[in-house]
Amino acid sequence: MTLWDTAPWLLWSIVLPLSAGILTFLFRRAAPWIGIATTLGSVVSVAGLAAQVVHSGPLRYSVGGWGVPLGIDLRADGLSVLMLVMSAVIGVAVSVYAARYFSDADATDERAVQAHQRAYFWPLWMFLLAGLNGLFLAADIFHLYVTLELLGFAAVSLAALAGKRAAVVAAMRYLLVSLSGSLFFLFGVAILYAAYATVDLTALAGKVQPGPLAWSALALMASGLLIKGAVFPLHFWLPPAHANAPTPVSALLSALVVKASFYILLRLWFELFGAVVTPATATFLGLLGAGAILWGSAQALHQPRLKLLVAYSTVAQLGYLMLVFPLAQNAGSALTAWSACVYFVLAHACAKTAMFLAAGNIAHAAGHDRIADLDGITQALPLSVAAFALAGISLIGLPPSGGFIAKWMLLQAAIGSGKWGWATLILVGSLLAAAYVMRVLWHAFTQVEVARPLHRVPRTMEWSALALSLLAVLLGLMAARPVELLRSGAPVSMHAPGQT
Amino acid sequence: MNAPDDFTDDTRLTPLRLMIMLFVLTLAGALGWAVCSLPAYSSGLAVTALAELSNSGVLNPVTAAVLNYRGYDTLLEIAVLLLAVIGVWSLAQAEPPAAFEPASPVLLSFLRIVLPLMILIAGYLLWIGSFAPGGAFQGGAVLAGVLVLLRLSNQDRAIWSHEVWLRFCLVLGLSVFIAVAVGVMAGGGKLLEYPRAHAGMLILLIESAALISIALTLAALFVGGRALSDEDSSRASDNGVQPE
Repeated sequence: MTLWDTAPWLLWSIVLPLSAGILTFLFRRAAPWIGIATTLGSVVSVAGLAAQVVHSGPLRYSVGGWGVPLGIDLRADGLSVLMLVMSAVIGVAVSVYAARYFSDADATDERAVQAHQRAYFWPLWMFLLAGLNGLFLAADIFHLYVTLELLGFAAVSLAALAGKRAAVVAAMRYLLVSLSGSLFFLFGVAILYAAYATVDLTALAGKVQPGPLAWSALALMASGLLIKGAVFPLHFWLPPAHANAPTPVSALLSALVVKASFYILLRLWFELFGAVVTPATATFLGLLGAGAILWGSAQALHQPRLKLLVAYSTVAQLGYLMLVFPLAQNAGSALTAWSACVYFVLAHACAKTAMFLAAGNIAHAAGHDRIADLDGITQALPLSVAAFALAGISLIGLPPSGGFIAKWMLLQAAIGSGKWGWATLILVGSLLAAAYVMRVLWHAFTQVEVARPLHRVPRTMEWSALALSLLAVLLGLMAARPVELLRSGAPVSMHAPGQT
Repeated sequence: MNAPDDFTDDTRLTPLRLMIMLFVLTLAGALGWAVCSLPAYSSGLAVTALAELSNSGVLNPVTAAVLNYRGYDTLLEIAVLLLAVIGVWSLAQAEPPAAFEPASPVLLSFLRIVLPLMILIAGYLLWIGSFAPGGAFQGGAVLAGVLVLLRLSNQDRAIWSHEVWLRFCLVLGLSVFIAVAVGVMAGGGKLLEYPRAHAGMLILLIESAALISIALTLAALFVGGRALSDEDSSRASDNGVQPE
């Protein structure tokens, strides 16, 4: 047993960003370096944690040594580890991008970088990362609420960072939505604690019985998470909040923050309320997903601005995640559906970050992001347009991208359980995604005789977008390990909810 | 995007309002139903919490829960408080104080009596937290009251003009909390697993640091913006929110 094997790696992925939040607040000059070092540190700690989980299965850690029910337990299983890997990898890329973005002297009017943005981005982002990692490791519903609050406040402040009126209005709406979502969640926590005298997920899972208490707790918690997770038709706050934020923030919000709510929903649905959920509620969530896919894609198709198009694409892509609930109904296809939706989260995180960063580069160069006026942009920014296109390949679900593998597994689950309606929906959604991605590329690839005057885009910003888009495509080729890891602690292999 | 001026006296029952009303009624019904089916009396975890009290280093069960059993929650809540200040400071600068206006002599002599007393009470609340209701949050709120009174009487320039010190004091609580949480692991314990013999001391140490940060946090939220002496913002000619 070496130190590497026994070190409490899961703690470092929380303690590091928390400390970095303090340090970046105190030492502004060094903040970008502290930020990048912290994200690299979380890659190392999540690698250590992944090795432990692969080697010896899911692990629990009792903070303070008290243990359940008095203390707080952390736990790491395959799902938590994959989510932590996602936040670490996206974190490194966005930090590298942001270090350049917020220090770029050649600022355009479109995104005049002000001193306060540079000073406050880093502490807010570090606390956001601490909240995310804490959330992915929480095994306690009240602690989940605390991490949701940390995450929510950081996300709202980041969304307002651009300082323009539209951004502040959108952030204000986001704040209200986020607070009411958290409040609903807290209502559910209170009901469960009053009924069962514990807040530990695993302990509760053994006690929750179908009945008015469990139904109302589930309904409250799920509605809170659905609104925080921007699931159709509660997505109204997302496009303005994500599209008006500074580029690195848009990427973080779309790739990571909305996933946190979905992650909790997944945990609650399959672990806590496994005995309570019914096929009808699962179908209802699936129908919300269908609405999201169709409505989000249709909106993306006619957005005049690039960042809004990308934000509506997030609304649509979040819809696919909801398909796990109806598709996991059938015991035979449950594990496939579960793996598919988690893989979808990973693929979408990479692709959407790359897409937002590329869109930010394009807006930076052109000084605007009106899609109709982007002709000739490829001649000036081949790397960023390539990143956009590659990310698009994953969003559409073309082989060999991560999006392809995720959709393939979803289709397998749908067809395997004879649910042709959901299968058709997945295919239609892909066609719509192809249409809105092509719409951008159509304009971008139009050649112009006289190039418009463009601002220079720093090379780091171009390469970080491209690197993530390549990762999004390559994710399809290395799906075996993550899917294997997911089985560690997966709640679906044993039973399918609603059929017990 | 609705303009923010739609707070009118319009009381018509639009379809949207009808939907909201139905939603709220359903919610109230569901909550009522749930509450009615709760067990009439549940002691929750109170029995367990009291049973472990002798191992917690304090005699007040609330302090034991906040700083020991569920200290990790509180650690993150202290982070949320710091984050709230950072969030507010990222939005805008504080209103510049009005041209110096001497506060009324009556107010000043009142403050001379009440402020030292409030500081004393804050310290007392911190101290009794270990065996009676009280602690860093209560003491911090009283101390924040001192800062707010100084603000209202325009006597607080000295506090808000040292921006760097201000930042150090704001992060003090969280820094000490993290340092203790990680430090106790050096002896082979888990995160936040205080050695039994020193638990009371360590909790008091965390609470004392948290008291200062909580007081400053609340006062900073009252002031409502980053200090004018903030070196970066004095260079930039921005006011935070900019019209497009």
